[in-house]
Amino acid sequence: MSFLNPFLLFGSLALAIPILIHLVRREKSEIIPFSSLMFLLKVPKRSIRQQKIKNLLLMALRLLILALLVGAFARPYLTQPAKPSPNGTANRAIVMMLDNSYSMRYGNNFERLKAEAQRRIDSMRASDRMSIIAFNENATLLSRPTSDKNALKAVVDTLEPSFFGTRYYEAFTLADRAFGEFGGDQKQLVVISDFQRNGWNRSSRESIIGTDVKTETVNLAVQSPNNVGIDSVSVDQTSFTRTYTGRVIARIHNYRNDIPVDVPVTVSLNDKEMGRKTLTVSTKNSALAEFTGFDLQLGFSKGRVHIDSKDPLKVDDDFLFSLERREKLRVLIVDAGKAKQSLYLRQAFTSSPDLPFEVAVVPVSSLTPEEVAKHEVVVINDVPRLPDKVRDRLDELRKTGQGQLIILGENADAGWWNSYAKFPAKAGQRIFVAKDRGKPSVALTTYDRNHSIFKPFEKSTRVVLNSAQFFAYMNVEAKPGAVVLAKYEDGSPVIVESSKEDHGMLVFNSTIDSKWNDLPLKPSFLPLFHEMVRYLSRYNENRSWYNLGEAIPVTAGLESVAGAVIDPKGGRQALGQLTTGQVKYFTPTLPGFHEFRVGPDTRLVAVNPPSSEGNLDAMPPEDLLASVQRTQGESQQTGFFGSEEKAEYARRQMIWWYLLFIALLAGIAEIYIANQSYKAS
Amino acid sequence: MSTPVVEQPKNRFIDPKVLMKIQNLELVARSVVEGFVQGLHRSPYLGFSVDFAAYRQYMPGDEIRRIDWNVFSRSDKLYVKLYEGETNTRVLILLDISGSMNYGSGEIKKIDYARILAACLSYFAYHQRDGVGLLTFDTQIRSHVPASRRRGQLLTILSEIDRIQPSELTEFRKPLRFLAEYLTRRGVIVLISDLYDEPDNILAGLKVLKSKGNDIIVFHIMDNFELTFPFEEMAQFEDMETKRKLHVIPEYLRTQYLVIIKEHMERLRKELSGSRIDYCLMDTSKPLDVGLFSYLAARSKSI
Repeated sequence: MSFLNPFLLFGSLALAIPILIHLVRREKSEIIPFSSLMFLLKVPKRSIRQQKIKNLLLMALRLLILALLVGAFARPYLTQPAKPSPNGTANRAIVMMLDNSYSMRYGNNFERLKAEAQRRIDSMRASDRMSIIAFNENATLLSRPTSDKNALKAVVDTLEPSFFGTRYYEAFTLADRAFGEFGGDQKQLVVISDFQRNGWNRSSRESIIGTDVKTETVNLAVQSPNNVGIDSVSVDQTSFTRTYTGRVIARIHNYRNDIPVDVPVTVSLNDKEMGRKTLTVSTKNSALAEFTGFDLQLGFSKGRVHIDSKDPLKVDDDFLFSLERREKLRVLIVDAGKAKQSLYLRQAFTSSPDLPFEVAVVPVSSLTPEEVAKHEVVVINDVPRLPDKVRDRLDELRKTGQGQLIILGENADAGWWNSYAKFPAKAGQRIFVAKDRGKPSVALTTYDRNHSIFKPFEKSTRVVLNSAQFFAYMNVEAKPGAVVLAKYEDGSPVIVESSKEDHGMLVFNSTIDSKWNDLPLKPSFLPLFHEMVRYLSRYNENRSWYNLGEAIPVTAGLESVAGAVIDPKGGRQALGQLTTGQVKYFTPTLPGFHEFRVGPDTRLVAVNPPSSEGNLDAMPPEDLLASVQRTQGESQQTGFFGSEEKAEYARRQMIWWYLLFIALLAGIAEIYIANQSYKAS
Repeated sequence: MSTPVVEQPKNRFIDPKVLMKIQNLELVARSVVEGFVQGLHRSPYLGFSVDFAAYRQYMPGDEIRRIDWNVFSRSDKLYVKLYEGETNTRVLILLDISGSMNYGSGEIKKIDYARILAACLSYFAYHQRDGVGLLTFDTQIRSHVPASRRRGQLLTILSEIDRIQPSELTEFRKPLRFLAEYLTRRGVIVLISDLYDEPDNILAGLKVLKSKGNDIIVFHIMDNFELTFPFEEMAQFEDMETKRKLHVIPEYLRTQYLVIIKEHMERLRKELSGSRIDYCLMDTSKPLDVGLFSYLAARSKSI
């Protein structure tokens, strides 16, 4: 038996206190001369003895309670008894940790690892038992303790290098738990690895492996790695034009410390080469290769950056990414038909051919429900009222995903808009700031910083919303369920969003024509309206690639749909039913292109092995072991792998519960006896 | 003096603590006695004295001078006059001076209380013109002043009382056996003791003395602490006679102790009453004259 908190055993010194008090009081008891003990001696001895016994029993019970509490808090646990060795020598309990991170793909490193592992298995004595752990970013127990060499060799033979990075902590933790299963055997830990430095955070001091564990390391580190790899690729993932105007920038790193290298870099889309460059990368340095201007087909394309490095580590010579070419967002601007009323708005969405917007402007007088249905986003720019059919059609289209931005200004008929039941705001009177508020203008000062339409203002300190001056606005009030996204400095709402139940409408309560405000002349104008339209179209730009092991979010659209992922090997993994707006996460286990199918939508996501593995710098194994070797007295971690083993470990630690229970019973007995004694006296 | 008169004492309830401050034992005795007792006893015999009691027919052997010639002249019959005799008796005070008598929870030790009691009894017995004697004992007889009415007897007794020092064990059987052999004349025997001996030992000796026609009065001197055992703290109790020590937790022993001592006193009271021996418990925390008065009041009625 051992203790998790052995220092608490010092608490047992408290047991001496009542005994000392008893002895001291006994020594110091006063001598009283009394006429005769004749009658005192006649008191039946039995009752005195009974009382003494009761007192002794009480004291013993109290000492017992104290001892039990001390014992319980010291958390005793049972260690498994050592199995005696048939030949009289100590059994060895061997845990062999095998590194199968992707850096072990370097040259023939993994074959060396297997050979070393086989040798360790061959050298086992008949009474020795071994567990095998494979580790990368995760640690896996491949073999339970066994003396069967053939079974152990078979495990090693079937082991393959992974595409994951290296993390030693999990592996050592698992090894420690594995030793717990061996019990009292002589423990030996064998670590076969390339001891990559980036697998261990050197600033941390972790105590994982006990002091009674003998360690042996097999260092497969590459002394002078001549590796060149792709560190990362930066991609503008979405293009709205046939010709890709974004940039694919690959960062190539030369890990060699002897000579600079010339590296040919190619970029290909759907296995068709789109560009080639040759970079000269100096020692221990990076260089960038930039590609743009190639044609894109509609939808997703599988992109790949490849370097011809001629080094022994091939995995980091390729880097995958995905590109998407989209049709432009169709935006319909509806105005009152006044001259230049929508000038600024049109310019905001069409000022550059790269912008993902295709804009049409229609006066409300010639607006038809059919016209409205052709667009993904409709901007109603300060019209008095809408034809009833158009209004009803807008309500229907919102349910299918159309976004609508309503601008209320000098032309809006507040009475009509208030009669529009699904309108999220209640329009009031027009406020002319100079006249009604007694100051020249108000600024937009308060907004919901977590809302995606204000994302550009959170990212940049140069583009600020409060630089615009508002001279007049239509006073609005959010209806129940609607949300105020931004306010003027006087507290009046500026932007109101419809409720979640009727999602897809924003209300802006000042004109976009520089009469009521100077917002169109400010740098914040374009980002604000671009983000509003993007938000209304539910347009989300996705990441072009993820690292292996990283969780990839999968978001459902407006309807409840089933989700699934097709992995690079063609395997299908169902994500289950996704309700409206629900986000689920998928963690890939293979590098390559993953196809995410959410209802009718398909999205292509590239997954790459962690590029950090390309850095083969090693740390001395002794440093690593010094960091994980536990000092004397440090409590042992507990736990196991299967539920049965966990239960067994928990059972071994259950003693403290029993101790507490016995202490409780002793406490009850103590109360009873003390009560009886008190009544008798 | 014809009828013993017991009056209400004038100075009742003299505190024993106050008496202790009076060095002169005679003065102490006088202060206690004076005023409330006119006589200790009546003579058990009819004799020829001053106070006429009755006539009796002359019997041969009667003194001729006792014949009432006036009656003879009137009735021609010989009658002798009988008078209430003021015959004197012998009072012997047996004082226990064993070590246990040296116990006292307060300022008064039992032996001091017993001293005063003995002095008082001696004083008024002497002034009653009785012969007064003193015998002190523990396991054996330590001093003996034979009863006498001679001049200076009181002083002898008082100085003897003053000198006594308790030290030994108590043993009733031996001193009482000696007395039974020694006393040839009947009289009054007053035993002053804490009676720390087996009741059988005490009763055996006293019954022998009683059977010889003695009047016996037993004053049982007890300290209040012995009667109530009010100790609280655990302590070692040391026997003042044997010097034996005993660890005692009073709260555990008190009840049993009080039962035992009550049984002891009850048995003594019953057995002594059965033998027509007077028993009087004297609590040293109570004034001396209270005990004396209540005892004498009871005794005067019994005569």
